[in-house]
Amino acid sequence: MNKLAVVVTTPPYSNLTITAIDYVETALSLGVDVIGVFFYQDGAIQANSNVTIASDEYQAIQQWTRLHQQYQLPLHLCITAAEKRGVQCDSTTNTEQSNANEVFTISGLGELVELSTNATRLVQF
Amino acid sequence: MSAFTQQETSAVAESTETINTTKALALINSQAPFACSDGKDSLDIALIFASFEQGVSLFFQGDGVYQLIDKQNGSLISVKDYLKTFAAFEFYDIEDIYICQQSLAERKLASSFHIDNVQILTVKDFAVQLVQHKHILRF
Repeated sequence: MNKLAVVVTTPPYSNLTITAIDYVETALSLGVDVIGVFFYQDGAIQANSNVTIASDEYQAIQQWTRLHQQYQLPLHLCITAAEKRGVQCDSTTNTEQSNANEVFTISGLGELVELSTNATRLVQF
Repeated sequence: MSAFTQQETSAVAESTETINTTKALALINSQAPFACSDGKDSLDIALIFASFEQGVSLFFQGDGVYQLIDKQNGSLISVKDYLKTFAAFEFYDIEDIYICQQSLAERKLASSFHIDNVQILTVKDFAVQLVQHKHILRF
């Protein structure tokens, strides 16, 4: 079966992220095996719980959370990209201080290697 | 802008049909080195893939060709000079480094690069090399 992996490099306030979410959701709804989404560069901002987007704008982070819950979609966060953008994901940080959205798995670039090895197709946004 | 003639497009399509994806990843570098972190973020991916012994090739296109021009000094503008790390490509077995000839010509850049073993390719050959890869990421 074809396996799809997705790389997201755009921040939650980018319209390009909406395209990525639409793409991933369409794939999932068609039964494509989406083996994971890897958040790199400004994509890591998606995992920052302190981000607030005006309520009349598109709520990208809510949508990622929904896709994760509805389809058990793995969301991998590049820790280096996240930390330089203010997302605290150190395992020694207690959960009260951490502002990393818990639907994201803390990963590194090694996870991207893993995804690219297992995926039939890798699509970057 | 279409850099391809119809003939070239069909030549690339032909090589796609007989596709032999020998290498895991092609990284296209399309941004100049110091204004944004794309070049460094791409380099980090290249080194990780190489560490996991996944074949990775580097493609330099558009303003990305500036990453290879010699005698640059990021420290003059207080930017960490990640270009120095390019010297380690041999150690990481990153041997396939391709530069778009047209991108160099458009910028009137001479072929004086800060690393050896790079190949300057026409647009067509650049594309033919690109399709030999299982995956492509662009920065």
